[in-house]
Amino acid sequence: MTKKFFISKKLDDYFIGIYNAYKFIGSFFKEAFKAPFHFKEIINQCYEIGLKALPLITLTGFVTGIVFTKQSRPSLETFGATSWLPSLISIAILRALASLVTALICAGKVGSSIGAELGSMRVTEQIDAMEVSAINPFKYLVTTRVIATTITVPILALYCGFVALMGSFVNINAHESTSFFSFFEHGFETITFLDIFTSVVKSIFFGFTIGMVGCYKGYNASSGTVGVGRASNQAVVLSMFLVFIEEVVIVQVSNWIRLY
Amino acid sequence: MNENPNKRAIIVGIFVLVGIIFLIAGILTIGNLHQTFSTKLHVTTIFDDVNGLQKGNNIWFSGVKIGTVKKVEFFEKSRVKVTMNIDEKAQEYIRKDAKVKVSTDGFIGNKILVITGGSANMPAVSEGDTLGIEKTFSTEDIMNTFQENNKNVLAITSDFKTISKNLVDGHGSLGRLLKDEDIYENISNTTASLKKASDRAQALMNSLSVFSAKLNQKGTLANDLVTDTVVFNNIKNSVKELNQIADTAAVFIANLNEASRNPKTPVGVLLHDEAAGSQLKASMKNLESGSKKLDEDLEALQHNFLLRRYFKKKAKEKK
Amino acid sequence: MQSDNHNDIIDKGNSVISIRGLYKSFGTLGVLKGVDLDVYKGENVVVLGRSGTGKSVLIKILVGLLKPDSGRVEVLGKEVDKLQGKELDALRIKIGFSFQNSALYDSMNVRQNLEFPLKQNFKSLTKKEIDMAVEEVLEAVGLKDKVNQLPSDLSGGQKKRIGIARTLILKPEIMLYDEPTSGLDPITSIEINDLINDVQRRYHSSSIIITHDLTCAKVTGNRVAMLLDGKFLKVGSFDEVFADKEERIQSFFNYNFIQ
Repeated sequence: MTKKFFISKKLDDYFIGIYNAYKFIGSFFKEAFKAPFHFKEIINQCYEIGLKALPLITLTGFVTGIVFTKQSRPSLETFGATSWLPSLISIAILRALASLVTALICAGKVGSSIGAELGSMRVTEQIDAMEVSAINPFKYLVTTRVIATTITVPILALYCGFVALMGSFVNINAHESTSFFSFFEHGFETITFLDIFTSVVKSIFFGFTIGMVGCYKGYNASSGTVGVGRASNQAVVLSMFLVFIEEVVIVQVSNWIRLY
Repeated sequence: MNENPNKRAIIVGIFVLVGIIFLIAGILTIGNLHQTFSTKLHVTTIFDDVNGLQKGNNIWFSGVKIGTVKKVEFFEKSRVKVTMNIDEKAQEYIRKDAKVKVSTDGFIGNKILVITGGSANMPAVSEGDTLGIEKTFSTEDIMNTFQENNKNVLAITSDFKTISKNLVDGHGSLGRLLKDEDIYENISNTTASLKKASDRAQALMNSLSVFSAKLNQKGTLANDLVTDTVVFNNIKNSVKELNQIADTAAVFIANLNEASRNPKTPVGVLLHDEAAGSQLKASMKNLESGSKKLDEDLEALQHNFLLRRYFKKKAKEKK
Repeated sequence: MQSDNHNDIIDKGNSVISIRGLYKSFGTLGVLKGVDLDVYKGENVVVLGRSGTGKSVLIKILVGLLKPDSGRVEVLGKEVDKLQGKELDALRIKIGFSFQNSALYDSMNVRQNLEFPLKQNFKSLTKKEIDMAVEEVLEAVGLKDKVNQLPSDLSGGQKKRIGIARTLILKPEIMLYDEPTSGLDPITSIEINDLINDVQRRYHSSSIIITHDLTCAKVTGNRVAMLLDGKFLKVGSFDEVFADKEERIQSFFNYNFIQ
């Protein structure tokens, strides 16, 4: 049986990969809305993911707030407009930074661990073991994790936004002695519901992507410990890449919505 | 056997990839596409200078955003043709004679196009129209104007300098007026003649007074004369003449008055000359006293017994 | 011969697994090239063969983890490759599959590992029933004291046993063992062999045992099938197969003895 390639081996594999990913996402939606729902496992995963990413997000969010405020000050100072700092910072953080920073951290922290976990389950035949004991491993492992990331990442993003604003407040308070309430009053003056809403929607997409990519890479890991490492690594790289593309697309769509 | 499912997978994979690419490309360009969803009106205008206006800048009409700049391109030699996308909703409010200018959104904001004016009786703009521009003052323009102003001020002050120099040197009519001694002397002579005339009038009055006094002395020729009606008539004539002289003097005074109002005439200048003024005043005084004495003389003439009857008669006739 | 002791429970007329003309290849590599096999009720069949000859592929096809390229595979009267969803799950519950590396769930302790298939498949069970079932299978594999340990704390033999216990908890009609004694020391291997025979007796299950361990094959197999070059070269009792003069079979045995 001589096998002919449709285009070339690399391209064939590439398109088959896309097809598999497409099927994988398709089966997620098929399974996600079908009983049984592993609520307990979803909550369990939410807790795991949230706990895993929380310290890093707290630190990164806080630092982002401080650094962004510090770096924005000189350009506003040129116009003597440092009183605009709170609103500038809160727009930057709530519209873009919080969800993006959270997504990147979760891609690194959660995405890789999902990829590694499912990858090792694949290579040690745990996934097969589930399957042969009549448990749908896709449903039990993939859907729960994807749903969990989809729920958790937006919550983490909101948390990250809050922490970043706190960081910004600390810096602004030190320089301009703005009070806590006036900082938030100024900060939220320019924030609309749409800003928060798009940010949350964005995070939902990010969370879904991170979970999906991590699960896909892990679930389809090739055998061997090398496969686990590769799955984990590719999960991070691919989900970060997709997060940036989604960011661009969603910003475009949200700006479009904003016009109406 | 093995090729079949793979082939299908590859084809589906290609379709999915192409679909995603189209979706993303579509979404990324949708920002521009959405403008084509609402019908737009294309209006152009030609500027000499657009001050950094760019494609995509907003267009305001009465402070409301009504469109965006579609295209900025060079036109003819060093002029700029700006094509605007204007919402159809705003079309009916913009008149064909509306003016466009380049402005700034806020103090340091983006460049914007502002459409202003337009008269109510003009039709609304339509597709492809070209609107006129309203001259704006860019900072550069303002600086240029300042420069010109400065130049003008400089020119004016230098002119002034020349004028005042001429004045001092006595060039020009005004300068000559101010400087020429002859004219002053002429004026001075005139007043002196006037004074002489009034002096003479006084002398005349005096002699008349002496004469009338002689009239009272009986036996003199004069007395004789007065009793005679002929003589009386003569006297009357001479009084009449005297009256005429006084009239002429009055006209002269009026003329003088008028002349004094106009400071440009020599008399006006004269009036500012205190010496000349006091002389004039003195001559007036003389004239006044002269006429007063004349009056007294005439009164005396009336009371003269020779003429009393005549006057009484006259008074009776009046009654 | 120990294995001969159980020949009485084999129901020769009742074939639970029937394979006819099975082909399977991966890419350009043909692994199974026309395999025929019948497994009767209560029978232990050992599939002997060298590593990488597609022994594992055979039993993975039986549980539907892999799809055959062609051929007919019937398990308990059902064509496995035609089944989907709930029907496939219903069949899988009746098949126990012991993995080469035990495939215990790392994140769960022994109890959770055992409970997991039960809880997921029989939601109506009470906690007491589950506890009883867990206790029963742990007793069967003789590891009652390890109930709260994590798989990482267990030895290889213990993992194997827990893996077998996890399949037994669903009371399978067919047991499939993938290299049950690989990576184990001889004494532990003997324990596992005994356990396999014990399971056969206790649960009256039919089994396919994939191995290249001759001791295991001799002890546990009622019949031995010799898989070489994608085909069963010889099917019969261990002694029959061992006595076969076929060159490749002989070289296989020789190689293993030397080892």
